[in-house]
Amino acid sequence: MIMVHDPNMLIKMIVRMLVQKVRLRHAGILLHQMDRDSYILTVSRGSKGLKIPAGFARMDADNPLIRFFRNKLDKQLLGDGALVYEQAKKALRKKNLSPVLRQQLKDALHQMEIFEVTVCIPTYFINELLGIFLMGRKNSGKNFSRSELNFFVAIASDVAMAIRNAQLFKDLALELDKNKRLFIHTTVALAAAIDAKDHYTHGHTSRVTSLSIEIARKLIQKNRKKFDEKFLEQLHIASLLHDIGKIGIPETILNKEGPLDEEEKKRIQQHPLIGVTILQPIRELQDALMGVKYHHERYDGSGYPEGLKRNDIPFIALIISVADSFDAMTTNRPYRRASTKEEAVREIEKYSGTQYEPSIAWALAELHREGKI
Amino acid sequence: MAKLLIVDDEADVREFATNFFRRRKVEVLTASGGEEALSLIEKEKPDLVLLDIKMAGIDGIETLKRLRVKDQTTKVIMVTGKKPDEEESFNKCHQLNAVDYIHKPLELDELERVVMKELTNLKS
Repeated sequence: MIMVHDPNMLIKMIVRMLVQKVRLRHAGILLHQMDRDSYILTVSRGSKGLKIPAGFARMDADNPLIRFFRNKLDKQLLGDGALVYEQAKKALRKKNLSPVLRQQLKDALHQMEIFEVTVCIPTYFINELLGIFLMGRKNSGKNFSRSELNFFVAIASDVAMAIRNAQLFKDLALELDKNKRLFIHTTVALAAAIDAKDHYTHGHTSRVTSLSIEIARKLIQKNRKKFDEKFLEQLHIASLLHDIGKIGIPETILNKEGPLDEEEKKRIQQHPLIGVTILQPIRELQDALMGVKYHHERYDGSGYPEGLKRNDIPFIALIISVADSFDAMTTNRPYRRASTKEEAVREIEKYSGTQYEPSIAWALAELHREGKI
Repeated sequence: MAKLLIVDDEADVREFATNFFRRRKVEVLTASGGEEALSLIEKEKPDLVLLDIKMAGIDGIETLKRLRVKDQTTKVIMVTGKKPDEEESFNKCHQLNAVDYIHKPLELDELERVVMKELTNLKS
């Protein structure tokens, strides 16, 4: 049995071999497309004019040839696994065929005529018709020998298995992918909810998210860090959700026009932990959780909620911290005007090593120098 | 003999379709693009044109549009590949008086039926 993840290569090879070595005028394979329950000629080779272009032709489920193979209408003709035009034509002349079967066979053969094929080999997986190998006449005009046909039938069955396996792999990947996408969309929706609640930070979450990712990419680019796909994903999610805890803060405090008093400051400083409470039950979010919980920690230990220092602070949180600060500085508040990007970058560079992790501060400055922010 | 013009930017398709219809006793001409098609239609006056929509250069719909400026009678069947903006192209072609509209991948017997029907209609 052949085990192949991408059977297309295999199929192309086989069809090419059939045409070249066996010297056929043309050959191809009709493959089942599950979404439309239709069979498309996906691989095809042969001489000019005879070869049906790949993707050009199809057979639907109600096509007589498909029905013939799906219902295995004539066990005798298909006993050897191949439908051979000449033999089938002879069978039509038999008197003991039921009229229904006779018509069905006639219609199936008409399809073979339109496609100009002399041999059809159906490939099944258990009872499912996965595809049909179509073979045109030999260049020599001679018929296929029994041993040649047996050989093709054997290959066809291996190919069917390979296709089936590949399909299963693909389906599995698609399912996983679907779940992931649903998850990301839900996260984005949640993040939008926060932005909606907190007037002054409209767009803040998406800006912080883009910036965090840009910073991470810059660090990878300059070989300062080696982050994998998973890290970037968790960073993405964490930045989308970093302020989710603000949902637990009264709007009167969040949208207050003047500066906050001590009591109000303490309330706002709860938001990282509130975020943790909200996200804790969700298994997939445990890494991102670190970014949410610690994005207000400071490199020198002067942050909250735990006063963690330097590399005790998860890197995701360190990145978000810089992106978050930068965006806060460059946004207007009613009681203070926004800094320019220039000023904000300089401020962050000034506190590199104290409030902010040095390589991240550097990355931000670099992005600014390149005109990317 | 009825005259058919096949317009498609893929050589494989032109070759196959030519062979397919020649076997059915139809005279076949081909063009690989919209501009070539327009000049061939003017020169050869085919009974029917099979016009692929998605082509490099001017696409099938633009070609039909330009054709219809002076020529209301040449019969055209539109052939489309995948279906992104299905509704829209279909309506446009209908307005431009396309005789039919078929999708690739085609059922070959449908292709045969649709084309031969138009070509034999001429005789009556």
